[in-house]
Amino acid sequence: MNWLMTTTLAFGALALTPLTASAGTGDTLKAVQARGTLNCPGDIGSYLGFAEVDDKGVWKGLDIELCRAMTTAIFGDPSKANIIPIDWAQRWPSLQSGDIDIVIKASGGTLSRDGELGLQFSNSYYLGTTKVMAHAELGLASLKDAAGGSVCVPASTSTERQVSSYLAAQGIEMEIVAIEKNEEVEAAYMSGRCDTFAAWGPVLAIAASQSENPAAHTLLPDVLAMEPEVMITRQGDDNWVDIANWTLSALLFAEQEGITSANIDEIKANPPTAEIGKFLGATPGMGKGLGLADDWAYNVIRQVGNYSEIFERSLGQGSAYKMPREMTALWKDGGVLFPLVVD
Amino acid sequence: MTALPAAPALTPPARRFRRLRRDYFGSPASALMTLASLGILLGLGWWLMNWALLDATFSAAATQAECVQAGGACWSVIAARWRVILFGIYPYDEQWRPSFACAVVAGIILLSCLPRMWSFRRLALTWGLGAAGFYILMRGGILGLSVVNEQQWGGLPLTLFIFVATAVAGMPLAILLALMRRSELPVVARVTGWIIDTIRSLPLLSILFTFAIVVPFMLPGFLIGEKLYRVICGAALFFAAYQAEIIRGGFQGIPRGQDEAAKALGLPYWQRMSRVLLPQAFRLALPATINQFVVAFMETSLVVVVGFIDLLAAGNTAYKTGEWKFAYVEVYAFVAAIYFLFVFGLSRYGAYLEARMNAGHRKE
Repeated sequence: MNWLMTTTLAFGALALTPLTASAGTGDTLKAVQARGTLNCPGDIGSYLGFAEVDDKGVWKGLDIELCRAMTTAIFGDPSKANIIPIDWAQRWPSLQSGDIDIVIKASGGTLSRDGELGLQFSNSYYLGTTKVMAHAELGLASLKDAAGGSVCVPASTSTERQVSSYLAAQGIEMEIVAIEKNEEVEAAYMSGRCDTFAAWGPVLAIAASQSENPAAHTLLPDVLAMEPEVMITRQGDDNWVDIANWTLSALLFAEQEGITSANIDEIKANPPTAEIGKFLGATPGMGKGLGLADDWAYNVIRQVGNYSEIFERSLGQGSAYKMPREMTALWKDGGVLFPLVVD
Repeated sequence: MTALPAAPALTPPARRFRRLRRDYFGSPASALMTLASLGILLGLGWWLMNWALLDATFSAAATQAECVQAGGACWSVIAARWRVILFGIYPYDEQWRPSFACAVVAGIILLSCLPRMWSFRRLALTWGLGAAGFYILMRGGILGLSVVNEQQWGGLPLTLFIFVATAVAGMPLAILLALMRRSELPVVARVTGWIIDTIRSLPLLSILFTFAIVVPFMLPGFLIGEKLYRVICGAALFFAAYQAEIIRGGFQGIPRGQDEAAKALGLPYWQRMSRVLLPQAFRLALPATINQFVVAFMETSLVVVVGFIDLLAAGNTAYKTGEWKFAYVEVYAFVAAIYFLFVFGLSRYGAYLEARMNAGHRKE
């Protein structure tokens, strides 16, 4: 896909340089409300666990659920989310041209995206790490033990770059087998063509969980790279970033306080603390500063669920992938995610 | 020049057998090659049949473990996900609409293939009604049908629509470009040549990307239109640039006398072109034209880069889930079969047209 990326980037740069539009505060929310839908990116095939299509052609996955949560915060109705299929390369031009209102597409916050492309980030909703999986029978404890062996990587991706720079930095000699298509990289590793397989963490977890014998694979502790996945908006609309941040925060706050889509009505009827009362809209003040209704957070949790519910049905125990939360757990469970304070 | 031996008339079985023996078992080495090739073919066929039929799993409810245990193809993925492959993310409850829309497209294509339909009025009527029917079915918004935006179109109807619209818009443009390139006014001919060569020197991918993403930055709001139609404009332009050169090639194969005779008869320009030169140019350019159609059909799959879930992308979408990730070969085989059906049909129709036109040619 390298040539594709190059062409695309060239065009993207061409399109963006003179026109980097900066949205004024509140403009995006007004435009979205006037349109009646929130436009989010889907995928042009599927990105396992983050944006995929079920048997009835309905989008699902972590990124999609976050979009639905934000839609519910604005409209009180998740079905107002309009998922537009776009390719990775199209994310930024589509955001700048207004085809989509926010990028929630397993995309990391980077310096060049912030500085050169004129974008703005929310807090991180997922920590994506690049890791290495190995055949368990090799008995590897870390990537150092794999010296002299081979590693399968998807060709011309950031993973390939990360692997070679990590190997160089650690002084490990390995044969890098770069293969074009993700399915084939995985098939090559599974068939024993390579000793190890480097990829984005969720991809590895999914590959292992779907293999014939999940116990035959170990995830090595080496973290080759870390990328915090964020929601990305056009620069200049502070209110819009606030809404993204507070939507995420509401999902995490509900999880922290044990509020789920099932018990939310009981809790709202009898809130244990003043903060939770305010959070659920039992007392006023939650929405005004953001330009939303006071019960927006209640609607989100009621109709979409809290972060844990979303995660479990997209990637966790309720999905085909059975991924653990790990770093993506709440701070009190040993993870790095946290809600902002409702006061 | 040596004349090719004339094809023998129908041979009776005995002679046919003797010929077979001469051609394939003429010498020990030849016999060995024949047997070895036969063996390989039979082995491959046997393996394929085992994989695709005997050891295959067909039930939509089968899991990965059951498929792996059976050892053959896992057609369960098709049974469970065929609606995603055929219709992409088109709303599930409305999918009877794209089914009918596909039938409409297939219907108008088949109708226009019939020689008795070949008059401008009949074709225009068929295509006008067909296009309206397709659009109403797919987009909705009237007759009580709910609106389904172009961005939710997907799968086979989208592929067919892009192909047909590209060809229908691109062909007249191609004729126009070919005529302009042959114009006697040097400025027109030269400029058209530059335009054609410029378009041909760009990859289709970048043209599609420009029309989908970059053009909206340059046009005033009311001209932007839906992304799908912009992309089709780009594809049609690309198609026209190549097809124009194919038609020009056809023109160059016509003896000068034809044009001169038509002029001597006092026919005006448009009649000379439409009645005398273009029909002959098309006949000469037919094999290359069919080729161009086939390529255009294949290239519809490139629209995936600008965010349309065409047939191939819908196939990708179908197998990329936790449950079916392992079964991509089956999905690709299924999609390939659909492409094959259309492209093979197109090529056979091309062969039929050639035979039909050459029949007239030989009589001369």
